[in-house]
Amino acid sequence: MTGTLPLLRFLLRRERMSLPWWLLGVTLLVLVQSVQSQNLYGSPEALQKLRQTIGANNAVIAMSGPTGLLESIGGEVVFEIFAFASIVVALMSMFLIGRHTRADEESGRAELIRSARVGQHAPLAAALSLAGLADVAAGLLVFIVAAGTGLPIGGSVLFGAAIAAVGLVFASLTAAAAQVFENTRAVYGTVAMLLGAAFALRAAGDVGSGALSWASPLGWGQRTFPYSADRWWPVVLSLAFTTLLVATAVLLLARRDFGAGLVAPRPGRARASALLRNAYALVWRLQRGALVGWAAGLALLGVAYGSIGDSIEQYVRDNPEIAEFLPGGAADVLNAYLALTAGLSALLAAAYGVSSVLRIRAEESADRAEVVLATPTSRWTWLASQLSVSLTGTALTLIAFGLGEGLAYGMTVSDLGQVPRLIGVALVYLPAVWLIVSVTVLSVGWIPRPAAVVAWLVIAYCAVIALFADSFDLPDWSRRASPFVHTPNAPLDDVSAMPLIVLGVLAAAFAGAGYAGLRRRDIGY
Amino acid sequence: MSTSSESAIAVTGLRKSFGATKALDGLDLTVAKGEVHGFLGPNGSGKTTAIRVLLGLLRADGGEVRLLGGNPWRDADSLHARLAYVPGDVTLWPSITGGEVIDLLGRMRGGLNRRRRDELLDLFDLDPRKKARTYSKGNRQKVALVAALASDVELLLLDEPTSGLDPLMESVFQRCIHDVKSQGRTVLLSSHILAEIEALCDRVSIIRLGRTVESGTLGELRHLTRTSIAVETARPATGLESLSGVHDLVVDDHHARFDVDTAQLDIVVRELAPLGVRSMTSSPPTLEELFLRHYGDEEAGS
Repeated sequence: MTGTLPLLRFLLRRERMSLPWWLLGVTLLVLVQSVQSQNLYGSPEALQKLRQTIGANNAVIAMSGPTGLLESIGGEVVFEIFAFASIVVALMSMFLIGRHTRADEESGRAELIRSARVGQHAPLAAALSLAGLADVAAGLLVFIVAAGTGLPIGGSVLFGAAIAAVGLVFASLTAAAAQVFENTRAVYGTVAMLLGAAFALRAAGDVGSGALSWASPLGWGQRTFPYSADRWWPVVLSLAFTTLLVATAVLLLARRDFGAGLVAPRPGRARASALLRNAYALVWRLQRGALVGWAAGLALLGVAYGSIGDSIEQYVRDNPEIAEFLPGGAADVLNAYLALTAGLSALLAAAYGVSSVLRIRAEESADRAEVVLATPTSRWTWLASQLSVSLTGTALTLIAFGLGEGLAYGMTVSDLGQVPRLIGVALVYLPAVWLIVSVTVLSVGWIPRPAAVVAWLVIAYCAVIALFADSFDLPDWSRRASPFVHTPNAPLDDVSAMPLIVLGVLAAAFAGAGYAGLRRRDIGY
Repeated sequence: MSTSSESAIAVTGLRKSFGATKALDGLDLTVAKGEVHGFLGPNGSGKTTAIRVLLGLLRADGGEVRLLGGNPWRDADSLHARLAYVPGDVTLWPSITGGEVIDLLGRMRGGLNRRRRDELLDLFDLDPRKKARTYSKGNRQKVALVAALASDVELLLLDEPTSGLDPLMESVFQRCIHDVKSQGRTVLLSSHILAEIEALCDRVSIIRLGRTVESGTLGELRHLTRTSIAVETARPATGLESLSGVHDLVVDDHHARFDVDTAQLDIVVRELAPLGVRSMTSSPPTLEELFLRHYGDEEAGS
C-alpha cells in the first residue's frame, strides 16, 4: 500500500479537467428534473393523474422505474432521473478505474510508477479511492441539488446515498474486471455490458413482479424509495457487494503478473479475409463498431420516443404547458411531437457524421494516413472511402431511429404502416445532416488543425437554434444559418422537394471544395 | 549529374518549411537504380520530411524532385504502385491483426508474394495473429517491413527501419536487404546507425540541418576522414606536433596517440620510423568518425 496517498494526489491532478464535467452532468440532470417535475406535477391532483397515465404504460416504466416511487413529488423526481443519473455515475466510475488501472498498465505508464517505491496494491487502492471520492461527491451534489430545490432533507440524503452506492458498485466491478482482462477495451466492454444488463433486469422487474429488479444494482438504488418508504438497507446491500468485489479484485491482483490478465486475449486472424483489400474495406472495418453503436442508440431512442407517442396527446391535454415546447402547438400534437423527436434524432445523426468525418484527422495525426497514402490509394479514394461511411452511416442512423420509433409507436396503435412512414420522416432530415457532414469535410480540407473545434461548434450552434431559438427570441438571420431550419418540419409540415435539393447541392459543393483543399495541402500536419 | 531516366531518385535544391521552421534547405539527393543508398543524419535533420516529399505527402516549396521518372506530388498514385514505404515510427490500427495489415497493404500495392510473406514472418519471428495494439514498437516495425519486403516493387523507402529491432533482427534485416539488392531493386535507407549503413550501402548522402553536406561512395568519403594511430617508440615521441595533418595529439613520453588525415598518412609514418617504432596500432576510418566530425562541427559552431 506504500505510496497510495501521493498516487491519489497525482490521479486527482490527472482528472482535474474531466472529472468536474461528469459531476456537473449528474448535478444538472437532477437539478433540471427536480425543477421541471415540481413545476409540472407539484399539486397532489397532477401527481394522481400522472400515476394513472404512467401506471398503464409499461414502456415508460421500463425506461424509468417502479411506480411505487410515484407516491410523492420527490419520488417522482427519483422515478424519472434515477436510472439515467446512476448510469452517468456508473460510467464515470468505470472510466476512472479503467484509466488508472488497466489502461495505465497497458500503456506502460504503470510500470514506471511501480518501479518507484510504490506497493503492489497501491495503484489499485489509489484508483479505488479516487472513484470512491468521486462517487461520494456525486452523491453529495445530488443531495444538495435535491434539498436545495425544496425536496425533503431526509429523502434527499437517501437519494444521494443511493446514487453514490451505484457508482461504488460499478467502480469495484471495474476494478475486478481490470484484473481479469488484458486490454482496456475488454474491461470497458464487459462492464458496459453488465451495466446494460443491470438496466434491462430492472426494467423487466419493474414491469413485472419486481423480483428481477433485485438482481440489479440500479434496482437496489430505486427500491430504497426515497421520500416515501425511505429504506436504507438496499444501500447497505450495495456496500456489502462493493466490499465483496474489492476483495475479489485484490485477490486476483495477487494472483497475476504485471501486465497480464487472467484471460488471455483471443488471437485474431493470421491472414486478412478476401474482403479486406482496399481503402474502403479498411474504413468500414474500422468504423463499423461505432456505426452499429450509434444506430443501436438511435433505434433505442426511437423506441423510447415512439412508445409514448400514443399517450402524448392525452398527456399534453393534461399538461398544456408542454405544448409550448412543441412546434405547431397543441393543434396537431402528435405530429408536432414526432417532428420534434425527428429533429432531435437528426442532430444526433449529424453528431455521428461529424465524429465519423473527423476520423480523417485522427488517422492523419496518428500517422496512419501516410501508410495508406503511400500505397497507390489516391487522396480522392482515401477521402471517398471515409465519406462512404459517413454518408451511408448518417442515413442508416436516421433509418434506425425511424424504424425504432415506427415499431414502438406502430405497435401501440396497431398500425405497422407507421414503420415506413416514420423512416421516411426521418430521411427528410438527411440532406441537412449531409450538409453538416460536408462542412466538416470542408474544414478538414482547408483548416485541418481547428477542424474538430469548428465542426463541433457547428453542431452546437444547430442544437442551440433547434432547442432555444423560440424560447430566447433569437434574430431571424441566426436561425437561417442552421440547415435544419430550411428542412420541412416533417411530419408536421408538408414536405417540398426544393429546399431538400438545395441542401443536397450545397452539401455536394462543400464536400467537393473540401477535397480541393485536401488535394492541395500537406498530409499529417 | 545523372538524368532521371537513370536515377530512381533525383532531388536538387529541395526546400520545405513549416511556418518559420526550415525543415529542408537545399537538399540534393541522387539515388541510382539498383543501389542501396544510405541517407544519414541525426534526428531532426530532415530525413523524414525529405521522404514524405518523395512520397507526395508534403508539397515541396522549391527545388526539383523526380521519383522513378515522375513527379511525386502530381503522379503520386501511379508511382506508389512501384514502391513500398516503411515509416520511422510505425503506427497501426489497434483493432486489426499484424497479418491482416500485411495482407491489406500488400493488396493495396497490387498484390504480394504469399510464400515470401510467410518466410519473412518466420525470419522476423512475428506472430501475425496478434492485434496491433498489443505489438511493441519493434513488432509494429516488423509488420511494416514484412509488408514492404514481400511486395514486388522497384523501390523501397525505409525510414530508420531498424530503430526498434534487436541486434538479431537487425542481422535478419541486413540479409533481407542483400536479397533485395541482388534482385536489382533500389533501396533508400535512412538511418543514424552507422554500422548498418556501412554494412549495406553502396553510396551515402549525409544530411545536416536540411542540407546535403556529403555524398559519395564509402571509399570516396573515407578520403575525407582520419586514421587513428597509437604508437610506442624507442625514443621520446617528439616533433609530431609540427607535422601538418596531425590532430588531437597526446604524447606521454614513449607513447603517442593522434589522428591523422588519411592523405598525410604516408608522410607521418616516415617521420615515425626514425623514432624506433616498438608497437603501432592504427584504426581504419569509420563512418562513425566521419559522422562525429560533421555533427561535432555543428555542435562547435552553434
